[in-house]
Amino acid sequence: MIPPVEAPRGRGYRRPMAGWWRRNPYFFWYMVREVTAVGVAVYALVLLAGVVCLARGEPAWNGWLAAMRSPVSIALHLLLLAGMVCHAWSWFDIMPKTMPMLFVGGKRVEASTITRAGWVVAVVAAIALYVVARMLRP
Amino acid sequence: MTVEPRHIEIEVLRYRPGTDAEPVWQSFRVPFLDDTSVLEGLQAIKDDQDGSLSFRWSCRMAICGSCGMMIDGVPRLACHTFLREFFPGKVRVAPLDHLPIERDLVVSAEDFVRKLEGITPWLVPREARTLAQGEHLQTPRQLEQFRQYAGCINCMLCYAACPQYGLDPEFIGPGLMALIHRYNEDSRDGARAERMELINAEQGVWSCTAVGYCSVVCPKHVDPANAVNQNKVNGALDWVKQRVGLKGASK
Amino acid sequence: MLPLETFKADVAIVGAGGAGLRAAIAAAELDPSLTVALVSKVYPMRSHTVAAEGGSAGVVQAHDSLQQHFDDTVTGGDWLCEQDVVDYFVAQCTPEMIQLEHWGCPWSRKEDGHVNVRAFGGMKIERTWFAADKTGFHILHTLFQTSLKYPSIRRFDEHFAVDLVVDEGRCRGVVALDIASGRFVLIEAGAVVIATGGAGRVFRENTNGGIVTGDGMSLAYRHGVPLRDMEFMQYHPTCMPGTGLLFTEACRGEGGLLTNKDGYRYLQDYGLGPPDPWPRKKAMELGPRDRLSQAFWHEDRKGRTVQTPHGSAVNLDLRHLGAKKLRERLPLICELAEEFLGIDPANSPIPVRPAVHYTMGGILVDGRTASPLPGLYAAGECSSVGIHGANRLGSNSLAELSVFGRVAGEEAARFARTARRDDNAALATQAGDAIALATAMVRRTDGTERLAALRREMAQSMEDGCGIFRTGPEMQATCDKLAELRERYARVRLDDVSTAWNTEWLNAIELGYQLEVAQAIAHSALEREESRGAHQRLDGFTQRDDVRFLKHTLAHRDGANAPKIGYGDVTITRSPPGTRAYGAAGEHAEAALGAAK
Repeated sequence: MIPPVEAPRGRGYRRPMAGWWRRNPYFFWYMVREVTAVGVAVYALVLLAGVVCLARGEPAWNGWLAAMRSPVSIALHLLLLAGMVCHAWSWFDIMPKTMPMLFVGGKRVEASTITRAGWVVAVVAAIALYVVARMLRP
Repeated sequence: MTVEPRHIEIEVLRYRPGTDAEPVWQSFRVPFLDDTSVLEGLQAIKDDQDGSLSFRWSCRMAICGSCGMMIDGVPRLACHTFLREFFPGKVRVAPLDHLPIERDLVVSAEDFVRKLEGITPWLVPREARTLAQGEHLQTPRQLEQFRQYAGCINCMLCYAACPQYGLDPEFIGPGLMALIHRYNEDSRDGARAERMELINAEQGVWSCTAVGYCSVVCPKHVDPANAVNQNKVNGALDWVKQRVGLKGASK
Repeated sequence: MLPLETFKADVAIVGAGGAGLRAAIAAAELDPSLTVALVSKVYPMRSHTVAAEGGSAGVVQAHDSLQQHFDDTVTGGDWLCEQDVVDYFVAQCTPEMIQLEHWGCPWSRKEDGHVNVRAFGGMKIERTWFAADKTGFHILHTLFQTSLKYPSIRRFDEHFAVDLVVDEGRCRGVVALDIASGRFVLIEAGAVVIATGGAGRVFRENTNGGIVTGDGMSLAYRHGVPLRDMEFMQYHPTCMPGTGLLFTEACRGEGGLLTNKDGYRYLQDYGLGPPDPWPRKKAMELGPRDRLSQAFWHEDRKGRTVQTPHGSAVNLDLRHLGAKKLRERLPLICELAEEFLGIDPANSPIPVRPAVHYTMGGILVDGRTASPLPGLYAAGECSSVGIHGANRLGSNSLAELSVFGRVAGEEAARFARTARRDDNAALATQAGDAIALATAMVRRTDGTERLAALRREMAQSMEDGCGIFRTGPEMQATCDKLAELRERYARVRLDDVSTAWNTEWLNAIELGYQLEVAQAIAHSALEREESRGAHQRLDGFTQRDDVRFLKHTLAHRDGANAPKIGYGDVTITRSPPGTRAYGAAGEHAEAALGAAK
């Protein structure tokens, strides 16, 4: 049975919500986390552009690579990297909240353990990816 | 062994319907010792300075859930927050965010209670059992599965912490979602299907954007954020099961 | 002047704690066609049942028996119990605890899945069901959430009862104030159940929440119902100095120790020893509450207590339990100690002292919860149904809520079904009078007394005169003080003259209730010239006197005067008055009894 959909009864003074995310540092950092998702989307587009250029042939691909090496691009990349790390941090932080209770050997697995496990996997995967990328260089 | 009290300034957000167009801050000074709570500070104001200050309280030990307030901008229980923490600065006390103010520090609990009544918050046994058959068997491990969520004292701090609830009061909210989850996880209960409709609704888990502040402020470590976000997975799985024609959880 | 709002119910219940909710569910189950009005000055989950920690009694173990629960209870009550009612009570405890389990109560379990039981003060065999150290919380939330199943229960949340309406010698309803709006409503009913809890707040240091102000006791009292055995106020031996907050008896059930400033387990000096082996039932720290509180008083007089900023205390030593067991079995205790006192119980002892905890006495009712006023029933701490006598055993109170809450709900429902319901004009007039009386206080502009001052004086005087040990002159001083306070109460002036959410006004009405209940306590105590259970005197009446005082005290209201004190018989069936022996003496007595059989 879904509770009735009408708004709560009229009684009481309602305070405005405008600027709510500035009232508490926790909310501010939540908004930063949400904004980093935009960064992720932007980088997906950049990579998509790269794939399209690759399909178009060597000149297009080299043009894309040159653009990626420009100072503006490097600066943007650093910014996006910072955003991604922030995004990953907040994601691993919230990850235990999305999971049911885990028990290992009769003992409850702490949220912090899950978060740390996430980071370990992420770092290992990043290192593995880097190593493979280096190995594949002509 | 007498200890001399120190003094601290408490600034309270007042609101008297019919008299005040909008809430106003009012300052008081109260004596306090190391173990004096904010609640006791408010009581000192009411007893000795201004009897018209209205606020809810009862047990003084963080179990009745009456005294939730914004203390220096953070949702906390006044009986479990100590004036020593703020000294020598002042402490600002306001009614819980996101809830309508009825008077001074008293907010309306109507929305919460009305929703509570509608979520099937009682045990629906999997099978009928007479008293003569004795208790259901439930191992400590099975009890552990839901015990944490059963610890909610209905203090509504999580509602004050949840900006999604503040932006849209139709959202069921963290505390009630934890209560739904408490029953779903109880090995004795068989009404998961009935409650899935609530979970999977727009005003159910899908209004939550995993801010997570609710779990930070919860005084009983219920972890409502976990209850809500776990159920996003459950809700999604149920939706898939239904589309695929499998016997889903809900009808 | 707005017209009087009226609501027609079949059963009206005042108080939505454990007893009130259980009564509402019982009435709704007995006859779903009846309308049950559940009136509470707070939302039900705020009721003080929520603070109860340790557990609820119910015989389950094979080597336990109803007879033994009966014996422990009657002995603990120092033979002032209604033994036929105790017989009924002990037989109903376990079925009611199973009922709570069926409704979802998360009782703590043994490995095999059955409910676990633990030792509790004054009980020979473990029979206390518990839900971690938050039993009352879980029982209350289970009952409240279960009550939502019944559409016939209509709740009046945050409605403050200001009077009963009584017509032609029958209770016909309740007049209540809607706190948020300031409007009154007359809830007309075929029967009324009072389940408003105790009156511990009349004392200075107490474990009780702010709402425990004896409202229902006073309402019944004002309509001619006597208050029984009011002098028996239970001091809980292990409370936080200053706030009075409770450290559950379960601390001692788990093996906690009480030591004085020299680290000595002093209880062995007061007939509760020997100290080892430990833990041992009904001995040392697992003795009954009145004995432990009395021992503290003596240690204090001898100068062997510890000094804290809030007065003297002894040590509750839980260190030997270890951090793991403490977190698991006593999490609430750890939290309280850490936040208020900055103490980790795994590393340091906790300073504790006795504080008022429970009101053994209350509204006179028979074994079916019926008061002498037809149509009026009472259950829970506000009532005196006869199971606690002169001293209550821990975990009998939570059980009482379910057992007699159910009885009250059923009896009230049956009465309401056949009750005549005419002549509402008389009721409306009475309601109008009650409203005028309540409203006069808010309108008064020429008062001279401050509410908080009267309350503090009352609470201090009760602590001084009606404490753990009492003397004639001190009790008389308290009686005189209360008479003075009642007179000054008529001149209270409030800061707050609004009608919506005026909690100062509510506190003032509560003070009126408290002063009358306090008088009943003080005068009942003064007249009882013996020492029994929780009523202990130092002035020559230091022994139990079964010849003169194997009787219940009955306090009858006498308007603005002091109450008139009368006496009633005690029903003794199987257990003639004996000696309350604990510790080694108790073990010898039991062995002798066993040998004699």
